Amino acid sequence: MKKLNFKKLGCFALALSMGLSLSACTKAESKPYVIGISQYGEHASLDNCREGFLLGLEEAGLKEGEDFTVIYQNAAFDDNIAIQIGQSFSAENVDLMCAIATPSATACYAAAEDKDIPVIFTAITDPEAAHLDSGNVTGTSDKLPVEAQLDLIRKMQPEAKTIGIIYTTSEPNSVSAIAEYEEKAEAYGFTIETLGVSAQSEVTQAADTLISRGVDCLSNLTDNNVVGVLASILEKTGEAGIPVYGSEVEQVKIGCAAAAGIDYIKLGKQTGAMAAKVLKDEATCKEIPFETISEYGVYVNREACGTLGMEIPEDIAAVAIES
Amino acid sequence: MLEMVVSTLTQGLIYAFIAYGVYITYSILDFPDLTTDGSFPLGAAVTAVLLSKGCDPYLTLAAALLAGALAGFFTGFIHVKLHIRDLLAGIITMTALFSINLQIGGSNLIIPRTTDTIFSAAPTMAVFGGLSLLYRKLIVVCLLALIFKILLDLYFSTKSGLLLRAAGDNANLVTALAQDKGRVKILGLVISNSLIALAGAIVCHEQRSFSATMGTGQVVFGLASVIIGISLFRKLSFVRGTTAVIIGSILYKACISAALSLGLPANLLKLVTAVLFLLVLVFSGRRGEEIIRA
Repeated sequence: MKKLNFKKLGCFALALSMGLSLSACTKAESKPYVIGISQYGEHASLDNCREGFLLGLEEAGLKEGEDFTVIYQNAAFDDNIAIQIGQSFSAENVDLMCAIATPSATACYAAAEDKDIPVIFTAITDPEAAHLDSGNVTGTSDKLPVEAQLDLIRKMQPEAKTIGIIYTTSEPNSVSAIAEYEEKAEAYGFTIETLGVSAQSEVTQAADTLISRGVDCLSNLTDNNVVGVLASILEKTGEAGIPVYGSEVEQVKIGCAAAAGIDYIKLGKQTGAMAAKVLKDEATCKEIPFETISEYGVYVNREACGTLGMEIPEDIAAVAIES
Repeated sequence: MLEMVVSTLTQGLIYAFIAYGVYITYSILDFPDLTTDGSFPLGAAVTAVLLSKGCDPYLTLAAALLAGALAGFFTGFIHVKLHIRDLLAGIITMTALFSINLQIGGSNLIIPRTTDTIFSAAPTMAVFGGLSLLYRKLIVVCLLALIFKILLDLYFSTKSGLLLRAAGDNANLVTALAQDKGRVKILGLVISNSLIALAGAIVCHEQRSFSATMGTGQVVFGLASVIIGISLFRKLSFVRGTTAVIIGSILYKACISAALSLGLPANLLKLVTAVLFLLVLVFSGRRGEEIIRA
């Protein structure tokens, strides 16, 4: 009886492999590089990373369709699907994997181990802690410019004492950013009031709690759970009359007062340029250390500041990009 | 493309351990156990920490089994002794484990490529060193899944195993046999969750990483695999439950692989997966009837 099961399994495997190899034949003669992009989920910043990545390749002289083709997959924020995406790229023998966000990067890197396919990541805060700093892997870090943000808040609110931050305890990016905030806040005369949540449904409750503790403002990280319900946080802080500072331009567009943050399109471009070098055999991943974006942008939302009755200091207005 | 099939089979066989566990609680004990979403990452967390401390890779599997057993024991204990309802007991343990897992492994822990896993340690290499990593993973995982399947099948025919099956079908029978049905339930939960934690451990070896969010949705996965497997073979009584759920698990992963390789817009992935499940279930139901009629 066990034979029967294996037979069935064999038939199924055979059928699957025949079907798949048929689809593979049609593109066998094409020469362009195949790039597999594994994105953890759909999310404005992550989408910008991908867009920037493709722009970066284009700027390096590679044209989509002619010089490279893209297989784009997105794991819908599910770690297990990210694993299968990495393995499907490996099975397709892509020339390079581009992984956006940590879970996708670790999955791609694990899947690439066997064949040593180069992996280029982006939107990872701490590649060293993630052990993605050696081997056939490199990319860009989206480490937040924490000091610039503290400086911005100090200028916008000279009287402020406490900054409230909501973060997800299971997001590695947030955990490392919180540590940096706590370390550097004192120099700018702030105390940090943090509140960790484990799910998106707890975020608005956490905002209520922080507001009732009397924080002077909220500052956001690039925390997926928090950013996802930013609009409802802004509603609550608007009523309480305290500003929220974002961590990148998309958050300011939604209604944060200001932000010192990363431009993810730029970050993506930088990543794309690294990928182009690897594809053109100008350098291997091992020879390119991971990069942290050194420039950051200052963004302000004049309307949001106006509603809160906040004035934008001249030196900030001079450098800020309004949205 | 053979590789795609191999990696899908590997995934299916690894996650079959979750299916074994859910099969014991949901199908045999009739206990909807939500501990799964916590015990799966617990196994991975323990494994990741031990591996990064230089522990023997094979020993980590035993440690994960033990950790999972504790989690299952806790759910069983508060259900049986403190009379917490089954669903709630699982929810309490799962919630607690989320914090415990963070405490053990942090939000995310990665094992460097230089550290040996069960797929690259010397004993594995001595036997299967000639194979590429992809096939080595399949063979090792296949062996593990078969060993545990055989152990489970043997256990189900022992006295204790029969009592376990009776506890779900007819709890009064267990009492009539002068046995404590509470103890039987606890035992079932211990076995189930230790297997689920083992799945987490193997995923950690295979992926070289632990993340605190990796448990999300594993109950759903386990239930789907068990239901697909059982309904596919419900008319074929000679197919053992354990065999059925392995195939359920492989089919689930194959559905996702198929949905991925269809190349549809990424946001439709889950919808496509759902449609594929539905097709598998409808198709299997019809075919089952046909077999009976023929």
